[in-house]
Amino acid sequence: MSAALAEALNPAVFWEYRAILLKGLAFNFYVFACAAAAALILGLGAALLRVNRWRALRWAGTLHVEIFRNAPDYVMVVWIHFVLPLLLGLAIGRRLEFPPFLSAVIALGLVYSGYFAETFRAGIQSIPLGQIEAGRACGMPERLILWRVILPQVVRRMLPEAVNQFVSLFKATTIVSLIAVPDLMYQVSMVTQQEMRPLPLYTGAALTYFAIVFLAASLVRAAAERWRQKVYA
Amino acid sequence: MSSIPAISVVDVHKSFGPLAVLKGVSFDVPRGSVVSMIGASGSGKSTLLRCINHLETPSAGEIYIDGEPMHFRVAGDGQRKPRPIAEINRLRRDLGMVFQQFNLWPHMTVLGNVVEAPRRVRGLKRSEAGELALECLRRVHLLDKAGEYPARLSGGQQQRVAIARALAMQPKAMLFDEATSSLDPELTDEVLAVMRDLARDGTTMIVVTHEMRFAREVSDRVLFLHNGLIEEAGAPEEVFGAPKSERCRQFLSKYLPKYVQ
Ligand SMILES: Nc1ncnc2c1ncn2[C@@H]1O[C@H](COP(=O)(O)OP(=O)(O)OP(=O)(O)O)[C@@H](O)[C@H]1O
Ligand SMILES: [Mg+2]
Repeated sequence: MSAALAEALNPAVFWEYRAILLKGLAFNFYVFACAAAAALILGLGAALLRVNRWRALRWAGTLHVEIFRNAPDYVMVVWIHFVLPLLLGLAIGRRLEFPPFLSAVIALGLVYSGYFAETFRAGIQSIPLGQIEAGRACGMPERLILWRVILPQVVRRMLPEAVNQFVSLFKATTIVSLIAVPDLMYQVSMVTQQEMRPLPLYTGAALTYFAIVFLAASLVRAAAERWRQKVYA
Repeated sequence: MSSIPAISVVDVHKSFGPLAVLKGVSFDVPRGSVVSMIGASGSGKSTLLRCINHLETPSAGEIYIDGEPMHFRVAGDGQRKPRPIAEINRLRRDLGMVFQQFNLWPHMTVLGNVVEAPRRVRGLKRSEAGELALECLRRVHLLDKAGEYPARLSGGQQQRVAIARALAMQPKAMLFDEATSSLDPELTDEVLAVMRDLARDGTTMIVVTHEMRFAREVSDRVLFLHNGLIEEAGAPEEVFGAPKSERCRQFLSKYLPKYVQ
């Protein structure tokens, strides 16, 4: 019985397939990096819309945030991958298909842009108006004020929350296996079908994800805290 | 030297919705002179200063900086056109503003705060802007704090950095909006001393203040603002020594009982 348990838990199989599993893990990082970039850019855009002086633009920003922040990751991934090409295809009268990687990046990028938009907006609105007026009084154009006065402070302030969102986003990259992006989870399920050893394989995957998220998040949090303290001492 | 005033305020009105805050204010600030503005809370002093550098847009009237209208320009056909924001930004460079709340940028060092506008707005080279900034920090006696972050400075030091930041644009005039009002009394003097030095060096200044002694000693002219109008104006000896208006007398008696009998 205990021999069977030891055999079931034997991590050798995980090690044996390390090359292919590592390749899978690399896909998690690719998806994460691309989706994070998209989410940050779209999120900043939506946040700027929300603090705009024109009502219609504010409204558009709010719409963006509410749609994507409230959409489950998985539903978005499936919708973007299977439904959106169908819709677009009908519109242009031609069959359309998105590569899984692209669908994954668009879907996760959109969902997380909803979260980042709110973080950006809260950060932007937390900057005292006086600092902005000081910039105007020096003759700084609004764009320069945004880049030199507002955003550097927003980034510092939003870091703790952003780290949590990056963690969620990284974890969310594991669902892209469902649309056949060959990430770590996808490879694990492929190997499992061959080896019939789900226990060590899925446990290994879980531990790998845990170690990566835990280490990376701890490092970034510590660095962010030190950076903040330097300025707001 | 031409006789064009550094700043000319002509019949400026400003309303916020139904609330008329400025109801037709006119005065000149000759080059090299110090004009102090006093008045009760809510009389419109800040609003007037903010209209001068277009942080607020006047509802009517005009402000001339060195003869150039701040808010409109006269097109070829003689029509008045509101200035685009880029032109207003250019004119704003000529006016340094110091706020009651300092409004330093907390993520930049003291030197960073002072160097920012000369470098990014006037486009000076890093070395030139750096030298200019250090010179301005020297004038406010804060050379030794160049590398500090604002949060580590006292209020008086922060306000002096804000003065240096405004000076670094080499403005034609400086606007002070209650620069010492949020400072503890013992920190007020170091800021007033810097402002005195500026006045002595011939800096054109408009000073909104509740420091009556300072206004009396430093100003060439004192304006008493009441309900959005200049109720009394004159040399400091006149306004403080023998105010003509009853309201001005009442106002001053709260600050300087000894000046008003
Ligand atoms: N942006 C604004 N919107 C609406 N009302 C305003 C605005 N700014 C100023 N006011 C009003 O205008 C009036 C004059 O304000 P202002 O700040 O110019 O007074 P002040 O003379 O500077 O007073 P204090 O000595 O308290 O600084 C006040 O009643 C104020 O509430
Ligand atoms: Mg005021």
